[in-house]
Amino acid sequence: MNWLIRALSSSIGKKFVMGITGLLLCGFLITHLAGNLLLYVGAEEYNHYAHALHEQKMLLAVAEVGLFVLFLAHVVLAVVTTRENKLARKQNYDVKETKQKAPLFAYFPHDVMWTSGVIVLGFVLLHLADFRLGLRNPGPEGEEPFDKAVRLLHDPITFGGYIAGVLVLGMHLSHGFSSAFQSLGLNHPKYNKFIQCAGTAFAIIIAVGFASFPIWAVMFQ
Amino acid sequence: MAIAEPATNILDSKIPSGPIQDKWDKCKFDLKLVNPANKRKFNIIVVGTGLAGGSAAATLGELGYNVKSFCIQDSPRRAHSIAAQGGINAAKNYPNDGDSIWRLFYDTVKGGDFRSREANVYRLAQVSNNIIDQCTAQGVPFAREYGGFLMNRSFGGAQVSRTFYCRGQTGQQLLLGAYQALMRQVSTGKVEIFSRREMLDLIVVDGKARGIVTRNLINGEFETHTADAVVLATGGYGNAWYLSTNGNGSNVTAAWRCHKKGAFFANPCFTQIHPTCIPRSGDYQSKLTLMSESLRNDGRVWVPKRKDDSRPPAEIPDSERDYYLERRYPSFGNLAPRDIASRAAKLECDKGHGVNDTGQAVYLDFRDAIARDGEDVIRAKYGNLFHMYKKITGDDPYHVPMQIYPAVHYTMGGLWVDYHLQTTIPGLYALGEANFSDHGANRLGASALMQGLADGYFVIPYTIGDHLARHSFEKIPEDHDACREALENAKGRVNKIMSIGGSRTPNQFHKELGAILWDYVGMERTKAGLETAIENIRGLRSEFWEDLKIVGKNEELNQVLEKAGRVADYMEFAELIATDALNREESCGGHFRQEHQTSENEALRNDDDYAYVAAWEFNGVGEAATLHKEQLEFENVPLATRSYK
Amino acid sequence: MSHETINLTLKIWRQPNAETEGRFEEYQLEGVSTHASFLEMLDILNDELIEQGIEPVAFDHDCREGVCGMCGMMINGQPHGPDLETTTCQLHMRRFEHNDKITIEPWRATAFPIVKDLVVDRSAFDRIITAGGYVSVNTGNAPDANAIPIPRPDQQQAMDSAACIGCGACVAACKNASAMLFTSAKVSHLSSLPHGKSERSERVLKMVAQMDDEKFGSCTNTGECEAACPAGIKLEDIARMNREYLRASLCSSGQ
Repeated sequence: MNWLIRALSSSIGKKFVMGITGLLLCGFLITHLAGNLLLYVGAEEYNHYAHALHEQKMLLAVAEVGLFVLFLAHVVLAVVTTRENKLARKQNYDVKETKQKAPLFAYFPHDVMWTSGVIVLGFVLLHLADFRLGLRNPGPEGEEPFDKAVRLLHDPITFGGYIAGVLVLGMHLSHGFSSAFQSLGLNHPKYNKFIQCAGTAFAIIIAVGFASFPIWAVMFQ
Repeated sequence: MAIAEPATNILDSKIPSGPIQDKWDKCKFDLKLVNPANKRKFNIIVVGTGLAGGSAAATLGELGYNVKSFCIQDSPRRAHSIAAQGGINAAKNYPNDGDSIWRLFYDTVKGGDFRSREANVYRLAQVSNNIIDQCTAQGVPFAREYGGFLMNRSFGGAQVSRTFYCRGQTGQQLLLGAYQALMRQVSTGKVEIFSRREMLDLIVVDGKARGIVTRNLINGEFETHTADAVVLATGGYGNAWYLSTNGNGSNVTAAWRCHKKGAFFANPCFTQIHPTCIPRSGDYQSKLTLMSESLRNDGRVWVPKRKDDSRPPAEIPDSERDYYLERRYPSFGNLAPRDIASRAAKLECDKGHGVNDTGQAVYLDFRDAIARDGEDVIRAKYGNLFHMYKKITGDDPYHVPMQIYPAVHYTMGGLWVDYHLQTTIPGLYALGEANFSDHGANRLGASALMQGLADGYFVIPYTIGDHLARHSFEKIPEDHDACREALENAKGRVNKIMSIGGSRTPNQFHKELGAILWDYVGMERTKAGLETAIENIRGLRSEFWEDLKIVGKNEELNQVLEKAGRVADYMEFAELIATDALNREESCGGHFRQEHQTSENEALRNDDDYAYVAAWEFNGVGEAATLHKEQLEFENVPLATRSYK
Repeated sequence: MSHETINLTLKIWRQPNAETEGRFEEYQLEGVSTHASFLEMLDILNDELIEQGIEPVAFDHDCREGVCGMCGMMINGQPHGPDLETTTCQLHMRRFEHNDKITIEPWRATAFPIVKDLVVDRSAFDRIITAGGYVSVNTGNAPDANAIPIPRPDQQQAMDSAACIGCGACVAACKNASAMLFTSAKVSHLSSLPHGKSERSERVLKMVAQMDDEKFGSCTNTGECEAACPAGIKLEDIARMNREYLRASLCSSGQ
């Protein structure tokens, strides 16, 4: 297994793992978004889905552990590579300008991956504390999942954190999605444009999709 | 003119006997061999990492020798061979257009205006094909047809297509191939690289070259390196003229210091001045950039008929333009050979017809070609060159004629070497542009790359073994008298430079020297001019040693000091160039003596008196050098006048 | 070519050697022709400094026509200055305005220690090539050059990658000081040719390992290197190297 350790600890290997975990987490985002969209279908359907999911104890456990490992690997690698990258240039430039053509908003999501990642991490912790662990606003016994979601989304901190979190997540994804393909070596002039566009579209769908829930909850419920 | 005559003819060119086709085979067979196990006992120093030096060091390492490779740049990959654009010749005859080794040999001897050594040129043509094979195997991405086979293009001086190329970066790709082969030997431990080192002296023990003294350019340390043989591949001396197409670092110092140690210097006056370069735009100019000769296929060269005409070119009607090449050489027109075209441009500018603020430029106009073929056709042919021109000058050649002027490009002269590429100091070899052997008085396009790689890959690996096998080599301790003497010599010169305390910078002196050489030892030379040049060079040299200003210390990276050392050598060397030009009472190739021309301004050779290589022996700075003559025999290519009609 | 001259304020990083701390110095330079190249502008400054008895600014340069890769400096925060696909020596002063202030810094990367002023040590690049950036063919071994046809697109692609001049602008531009573009250019060049295929796995593993050892940062796919590259090397090469690396790690029989 020496070869595997060596490969994964190389700079390219680390980026590879970063890309794979990122893409798998993107897959989770899709299922999570799809499940949440049931909120719009109706309380009954949403509750049915939630209960059905929670009855699959083994599946849930495996999924949660898997997600945790993916997330942990993603975060640990981010910390490790960011530290190494900082060491690769100990003294910064007095002036630094880019030669790239600025995108629409004259900012580069790739410049803030660390910051956006930290914010997303904070949001995820808050989100888990609220919805998974019930640490901040534990609801009454036997509360239906739909009611719980609506109630929690009315909390101003949850509401604000949720919207800010998913918007920053979108920013993170707008670079991360296509970047993962590049790290995996999936780059071809014929498909690059498509991957870029798909990345942007994915980031917008995820950000807008998730951000719609708290707004819907507060305005219509 | 002060020229010392030698007592006896001591030059032995070691040309093997027999028919010219068999000479190299015979030579290889007669060479003594070093057996594979013994090769690791020999140490070889290679100075320079261009095409010749890089390929030599790599190949010698492959053979098993211990090689120390030196370069002045930060990496072996930066040697100035990298800037060669056009291509490399070989007699592959892939296009099936009648090429052969014999034809390449013939073209090269004739192109060199019959001042090169037949045997060497034939060998060059013979190994040219191996070079293409070797470089392809190394991964050099030569241009290919759609079917995947190699493509050729045409170049000057030949009626066949034999030039292989990698876009406009052939030199770069060939050099990177050699560099990679070299680094592979570094990984095996057979080659050790010493970068940012400048060779300052040669160590000679018992008459044999046994090492070098270098200055570490980072910390100013003087180092002695001993070995069993020294290979010099330090390029040409075009920078003596200050402005040339050479890289700023190219210099004559290593070759000149070897000359001072006893290596003869051959034909220093043979210099190629390339007609199509971007002209000087002001005093600050540091180098001249070559624009490919191919532009003259479609561009028309002209100057305004009226002297000092300051109108923009577009406002000058055809009737007031002088297309002087078409007028003077109606059959060749704008495609007149390099030396003719260069001289004609100079003549027009000297008469006051030159354009540009300096009056030292002529127009190369694509107006008619664009009107005839359309801008797209011209763009497809020359787009990258036009782009490069625009980057440098800010002018758009699609709308404004290019301005061009000749510039010093390549030096055919160099250290005298025999057929083994050995100089007159046993154990000291000179390869590539640093030697004199293959191009005579004029080099054909795409032949420099061929020669550098031929010498490094396919000649020196054989011939150096003969020297090593025939002699015994005792280990030279670092404190050997010869090492100490060379070390003190190198240190002494640097200390002397540091101690002057004058007021002018090395650059200023270099510019002044360049102006003398350009004015009197440039495209057209006269007896009186050359005598003036020698006098002026001597005057400037003494001023140099009295009024040079240096800042900083020796013990650190000091680019002013580096430059001063090189200029100091040019100051001595320039006198030899002029002396050689003065001695050669004929016109041939790049050497044009105004006194010797036909009624049609063609070069007039004097084969009866000057069909020889002038090999100069050093007798002291300011002292008359001794002229040794190697008579040239032309048994296979009959002596004839080059005709452009 | 009409002449115009401009005055400049130059803010230049001065550092006597690797061990000593550096700092910025400001110099006024007057009457610089807009036709001068950027390096010629520095030549003019240096001649003035020497006349004043001040040590001139050390900078690397050689061919001055954009191919040797020797020159390179950060000019107002951009490697080789503001133009695309242009080296410092090809940059001309007509790109600047009268009374501009120009900040000039050396490449900054842990793997490129400063030697003096604007001169850095890029020998790490040589060591990456030494690790495997070659085809192992001894002189004399080669078959006829036409024995193995190479499809033109492959040759073109190899040439695109082989055009790298090794200047280090990619490292200088990258926020992580990563050498991925440089390394991948050589990996791409050689792996796309049949002659280089037999050792492609070993090559990429060794070159990447050496690159990591040299303390370059890792790639975060920001594309800064590509934009800064004067030789037009593309991000595709990095992806190709990633692919080669994964292939070599997962599928090759060696190691």
